Parts: sequence; C-alpha cells; structure tokens
Amino acid sequence: MTDRIVGLFLLAISIWYGVTAGDYEASFGDPLGPAAFPIMLSVPAAILSLTMIIRPDEEPAWVTGKPLLLQVGAVSLLLAYAGFLEVLGFPLATFIAVALLGRILRSSWPKSIASAAIMSAFLFLAFDKLLGLPLPLLPEFVS
Amino acid sequence: MSKLSKLFGAAVLWTSLSVAGATAAECIAPADPGGGWDFTCRTIGKMLFDQKLVDAPVQVTNMPGGVGAVAYAKVMSSRADDAELMVATSTVGVTQIAQGKYPADTSVMRWVAMLGTDVGVIVVPKDSDFKTLDDLVAALKEDPSALAVAGSSGAGGWDHIRLLMLAQAAGLSGDEYKQIRWVQFDGGGPAVTQMIGGQVQAVSTDLGEIAGFVESGDIRILAALSDERIPAFPDSPTAKEQGLDVTGYNWRGFYTGGEVSDEGYNAWVERLQKLYDTDDWKETAKGNGLVPVWRGGAEFEAYVKDQSEQMRKISQEIGVIK
Amino acid sequence: MDMLSALAQGFAVAITPTNLALALFGCFAGTLIGALPGLGPVNGVAILIPLAFSLGLEPTSALIMLSCIYYGCMYGGRISSIMLNIPGDEPAIMTTLDGYPMARAGKASEALAISAVASFIGATFATIGLTLFAPLLAKAAIYFGPADYFALYVMAFATIGGITSVNPFKTLLAAFIGLMIASVGLDPATGTARYTAGSFHLYDGFDPIVAIVGLFAISEVLVYLERVHQGQEKMVPLGRALPRFKDMMAGGWANLRGSVIGFVCGILPGAGASLGAFMSYIAEQRWSAKDGRFGEGDPRGIAAPEAGNNAASGGALIPMLTLGVPGSGTTAVMLALLISLNIQPGPLLFDRQPDLVWGLIAALYIANIALLIMNIPMIGLFTRMLSMPQWVLMPFVVMVSFLGVYSISHSTFDLFVMVGFGVMGYILRMLGISLVPVILGLLLGADMENNLRRALSISNGDFQILFSSPIALTLYAITATMLGLAFLLAFRSRRRARATAG
Repeated sequence: MTDRIVGLFLLAISIWYGVTAGDYEASFGDPLGPAAFPIMLSVPAAILSLTMIIRPDEEPAWVTGKPLLLQVGAVSLLLAYAGFLEVLGFPLATFIAVALLGRILRSSWPKSIASAAIMSAFLFLAFDKLLGLPLPLLPEFVS
Repeated sequence: MSKLSKLFGAAVLWTSLSVAGATAAECIAPADPGGGWDFTCRTIGKMLFDQKLVDAPVQVTNMPGGVGAVAYAKVMSSRADDAELMVATSTVGVTQIAQGKYPADTSVMRWVAMLGTDVGVIVVPKDSDFKTLDDLVAALKEDPSALAVAGSSGAGGWDHIRLLMLAQAAGLSGDEYKQIRWVQFDGGGPAVTQMIGGQVQAVSTDLGEIAGFVESGDIRILAALSDERIPAFPDSPTAKEQGLDVTGYNWRGFYTGGEVSDEGYNAWVERLQKLYDTDDWKETAKGNGLVPVWRGGAEFEAYVKDQSEQMRKISQEIGVIK
Repeated sequence: MDMLSALAQGFAVAITPTNLALALFGCFAGTLIGALPGLGPVNGVAILIPLAFSLGLEPTSALIMLSCIYYGCMYGGRISSIMLNIPGDEPAIMTTLDGYPMARAGKASEALAISAVASFIGATFATIGLTLFAPLLAKAAIYFGPADYFALYVMAFATIGGITSVNPFKTLLAAFIGLMIASVGLDPATGTARYTAGSFHLYDGFDPIVAIVGLFAISEVLVYLERVHQGQEKMVPLGRALPRFKDMMAGGWANLRGSVIGFVCGILPGAGASLGAFMSYIAEQRWSAKDGRFGEGDPRGIAAPEAGNNAASGGALIPMLTLGVPGSGTTAVMLALLISLNIQPGPLLFDRQPDLVWGLIAALYIANIALLIMNIPMIGLFTRMLSMPQWVLMPFVVMVSFLGVYSISHSTFDLFVMVGFGVMGYILRMLGISLVPVILGLLLGADMENNLRRALSISNGDFQILFSSPIALTLYAITATMLGLAFLLAFRSRRRARATAG
C-alpha cells in the first residue's frame, strides 16, 4: 500500500514537474531552452512511478508508538537547532541540541550533558579557532 | 531545576571565556571558495593585514547563492549598519542588479571602491581564418548564425553582452545579432579549451583566466575591449582602434551596508586607497591579469549607478529583459 | 630520459624537510577531513588555503601540502562510508554499497584494508599516468566535446538500474528523482530560475553535500531509533583489529580495472571522481557477474570504486596542470590558490615552473606511500569507533555534518533542507529505494543537461550533432553492449532459477 501511495505521490510530482517546466522560457538563449530537459525527465519519471503503483513491493514495517515519537522528536529537535543556531549562538545551541539528542538516543542526563559540553566546546574551537571558519558565538540577545 | 542551572552555568562560563577579540573586519565573498569573489576577499583581506591597515586578519565568510543575491539580501536585511563589513563584487554583480535579479537596486548599499579591473577580450584559435576583428564582424554580417561563440556566462550575462555590444556597434540589427550562436561553459578556461578542440570558433571572456593560452600562442586576441592596449599584450589591438567603440571591463571592488555611518564608510575607502597605492598591490594585480584602476568613495558610487543604468539599457535593447 | 631527470629534480624539491613535513601533515589532515561527513576535499582544501597563506609558504610547498590534503581526503572518504554507511565525501558514495554490509558482518577491518590498498593502487596508477603522459592526455581531452560528454552521462544513467540487486525500476526512479532535484536553481545557459519558488536561497540549487549528509547521516539516526526500539540493534561484532595480508589483497584485479576506468574519467574536465567511482563499480559488477555478491559485501565492490575515485582524483590533476582547467571542484580551488600565489596556470606551466610541477608529482608519490602506511594502523582506531556508544557517535556525526555545511555557506536555510533530505532519505530507505542513485543524479544531472544544451547550441538545434562524433558513437556502442549483457544475464539467471524450481 505504501508503495502505491508513494508511487501516486511521485507520479503527481513528475506531472507537476513536467507541466511547470512548460512555463519556463527564455526570450534569449540556446535552441533547446530551459524547459526541454525537465520535460524529457518528467515522462520516464512518471512511467517509473506508475510501475510502483501497478507492481508494489511488500509493505515495509513502519514503526508505531514510542519509536515513532522518538523519530518525530529527533527531527523536530534538528529543525529547532537549525532555526535557533544563529539566535542562540553556536555553543549554546549545540550544547542544548547534543544534550537532548543524547537523551533521545537513550543516554542518561549526566552523560548527555557531559558529552554536550565537551562536544560544543570542542567543535567551536576546532572550527572557529583552528580552521578559521567563523561561527556565531554569543546569543543575539547578548551581543 | 538543578540540571537547568548546570546548563546555564556552563553556558555562562563558556561565553565569558571567549568574549574577547570579537570585532574584526570581515569580508563576505558571495560565492563558494575558489571563485573570483572569494579570491578578491582573500587577497585583499590578506594584504590589508600585511600592510597593517587593519589590526586583526580579515575574516573571510563565504555566502554563495544567486550570483551574489543571497549575500545582498542578507546585508540589506540584517547588517546594513555594520561598519566592519565589506562585500566583494564586480561588474558581474552589477549586471545582475541591472537585470533585476537582486532583491533591490544599487541604492541600498554604499559602494566603497574598485581596485582593479579585468579586461574583456575576443579570442580565436591560432590558426583561425579570422585575422582581425573586421574578418570576424564581416562573417557575422554575412550570416549571424554562421559562428558559434563561447564564454563563461550564460546568454544575457556579461561575456555575452560584450559580444553583442560589438555586433551592435558593427551595425547588426537586433534581429540579426540574436541569431549569433552562444555557448556557455563553466569558466573561461573550459571555453578556450573547447575552442582549441574545434567545438566553437571564438570566445568572448575576461583575459585574466585565459592569459596563459595567449602567452603559449594557442590562441590570438582579435580585440581587447579596453581604452588602451593591455600592458601585458601590447601587440593586441583594441576594438576602438579597429573602429568599434566598445569597452567591456570587469572591475573588482567592494560595497558595504547602506546604513553604515560616513565615518565607517570613509575609513574603508581610505584603507583601500592606501592599499591601492602600494607597489605590492600593483604587483599582485598584474600577476592575476588585472589592470590596477582606482575609483573610490563618491566617484565610485556615481560610477556604479551609471554602469547599472547603462547595463539596464543595453539588456533592454538586446532583449535580455523586457 | 628528460622526464626521469625532471622527476629526480622533483624528488629533490619534495624531499626537503619542510616539504616532507607538510606532505605528511597534509595526508593526515586530509584523511580526517575526508572521513568527516559534510567536510569533503573541496571544503578541506578551501579551508586550509588561509593556513598556507598565514604560514607564508612557498608556492611549491603550499601546493604540495594542499595536494596531499586532496589525496588524503580521497583516502579518508571511504572510512565513514564503511563504518557508518555515511559517505565522507561525494566520490565515496559507491563505497557504501559493499563496504557497509561487510562492516556489519564483522569484517570492518578487512573492508578498510581492502579500500586502503585500492586507494593506493588507484592513486599510484594515476600518478604514474600523470608522470608519463600528462601533456599527451591533456591534448586528447581537448577533443572531448559537449556531445561526447552527453554520451558519457547517457552511459552512466543507462546502466544505473543495475547497481543494486533490488527492484531495478525503483533504482532507476531514484536516479530520476536525483536528476529532477539537480535542475532546481538558475539555469546556467539562460539564467531562468527553475523550481525556486522565488527564493534566492534556491538559486544555486541544492548542494550535493547537503543532500548527501541529509539523506545518509540524518536518515541513519532515524533508522537507528527504529532498530534500537525493536531490539534489532545487535552489537556489531568487531572482528580482528588488523587484517591479514591475504585479506588486504582480496580486491585482486578489480583494483587495476577500477584504476583504469577512474583515471579516464578523471582526465575529462568536469566529470571527476564521483563518475570515476561509479563507472568503476558498474564495470566491475558486469565483469565479475558470474560469482559476484555485489551489494552484500563483495570485496571487489569496495576495491573497484575506491581505486576508481582515487585514480580519478589523480587524473583530474592533468587538465589542471597542463591546461589550467579544473577537472573537479577541488582542483578548481587549487587553481584559485595557484592564481593567488601569482602563478599563471595554463599550457606553459610545465615549461615555466618545472620545479613546482615536478616537485608536486614527486610529493604525490611520497604522499601515496605515506597514506598507505598511515592508514593500515589507523584501521584499528577506526574499528574501535564502532564500539563507541551511539549517544556519543551519532550526535557527533550529526553536529559535524551540520557544521561542515553551515561553516561554508552560512545559511541556516541549508540546514533545514538537510533535515528535509533526512526525512526523505528515511522514507526512501523504508521503501527499498537506494539512495546512491539519487545522489548520482544530483551530482551529474546539471552537467548532463548543460552538455546537451551546449551541443545543440553549437549545432544551432540540429540533433545530429549528438551522433556525429566518433567518441560519442563509441560510447553509445559500449552502452548498448553493457545493457545487452545485463539483459542476457538476467534472462539466463531467470531460466536457471526456473530450471531449479522445476
């Protein structure tokens, strides 16, 4: 069933991809233009999506319950990290993210916090100081 | 609660450890490492420090995206008053602005200075039948689609526009010069090697990247798009000498945020001018195929505004933008 | 004779204590940078250029150090492919296919050893090729036009369906997903913005590194969370710390076959190491189809792509040194370095800077030997990595990946995209859709389109140009043969299966 749903989704994407490409035109440029190649891709992609609908593989074993919750938690945590990295500054944001990620990966609080402290300090020093790749240090509300 | 306080404590300790030494000059290269803008930032940044014009090494930050549009938007929105910041740009950036591909026009930034310029050239393989620019133009006049010409920019980019400006000056009509076949490669070097391999008949691009091929004799310069002959190649005539009044420079320079104080802005202009006056810069510029040219402060502001306006007109005339 | 004396001169340059020390440092740093996901050779070399400046190095010394970092990265990329199923850099994606299954079977040290030997053979082969034939090969590469590049990419994608043993339709679909993702951004030929939803952030399209890290590293975290809960996460048997000599050589002739194919791909400007690794793998799979267990930990499935990507990176130095044209992203950065050291790259480099060129070539020989010697004892270190608790290892890998991306682009947007790719990667994996072809599509798609369009610009829209060059025709013939062979084999094995069933 999943194969069918995903196949349908990819079919829709392929069609949308091809149709959208039709709108791309340059008043100026090469003979093929920006639309041709995407359209050339969309047709086989749509056919291949159809094979997923017509001949689906066995149903994968999707997780439910707690591990699903943990997965959702991990993804939200990483998204939040991306969003708060510049707001909180690298060391603080990384500290929080690593500590919580450690918890999600079933470690205890003290261990997670210890590894978070070491890791955020180490990575900041390694990248910002040693490699000279500037990272935001302080939270925005401080600086 | 104790965990939270631990966390907070660690954070405070950590930040207090490394607050010092925060404000250093920064140069944003709005491209990936290795490109021309990256080079501008790194070279000038290094020289500013070597000449003791700044206290700490200039920090180079790469911010690629949209041919400079991402960095432009970022500076506009969140660092408009940061006097420690400058951003590398060139004629290519101004072309993008003129064609409306940046989030705003040139007025939202303060344009600091340009320190040198690359020169556009039209080149052909050494054994090409085209001996002069006239030969090439004559062939185009007879049949604009007879030639495939390559460069490092896409259709409507600076390399292409320079070629069309020549065609226009030679009297080809818009409908005619639109038929000239244009092939884009990822840089002047690949364009020239493909030309040597016989795929295209001529290349229009900046001299800097391909000077080695001219020196080795693999290719010939039909026309330099400069006011005077290029010092390194005094035997190569300019387009002007051959009766087509077209110049096509690609300058290298910097802008800073639009809300930077006069004081901060003038400090940058002054620093860069001091750098420009050193022999060291002249030497470096020459080694990189650049001609040292100085325009700074108000003069540069006016120049950029002018160029952007001019570029917009050309782009409109040749139909790149509506 | 001329060349030998030039090479001897080169060794005299390379073997000074400073240059030797820099070469060794470069090898070590390169291996580490290559092993860390999100940090590849391009970033590694770019990051360390300022270091070369601040040390005030001679141009030759700087170039030696950076080339050793480059070679080191190519050695290092395989490590996380094998140990974590996360490619350390772009060309190492093929190594996940057989490397990781082998490690999970408790043969991590063997897999690392096979790949170290393969890297050595590939890189040495390329360095010898560089020494003997550089100017000649560069001349040949010039005649490889856009239509020929297009034929090369057609060959790559026509054969992609066979790289995994599962449903070939899904593998092909994965490649198309990658190709579709590759077309996002400003179209280089006309500047048209495609599929960007008006966002400047998408103007340059999706960075392959962002996609690789997301698809592999972040989805690995999600897979782990699932396994650990179902109690499926058994401790991986560690196996022996150091492999036996016999195991190291298990790659056999695949090492050499991979080297040749990779080297050829490397010489072509633009094609690069990823294509080299991929073509080597595909060819090896066809060559050894009779007794192959590809995808399940076949030693030749590790040796061929590793030899291939290392040979390709050596090959990529040829257009860089002889023409001043970058053969890959990394050589583009190295070219920029040459320029900023006031050295004009181009066809005259060999004549004008013989010390620099030959010193570099000599340093590459030294680097190869140093890397092999360095990498064998390091195997023990890396296999112990697997026994590190996951709550340390995984956050570390994820954070380094985030940092590798952020520190170069300074865009939190890229980080969001990365997490998005992670979720996508997890779903694709659950459905049995291989991630490798997605990345290949993304890596090669833009070049495939650009070359098609270049060819048609040159011919003013006449499609005949695609079939008018002998090189292109040869490539199409090889493609047809490989496809025919694949169908024949599939037909035979099905008949055999039916016979045994009957």
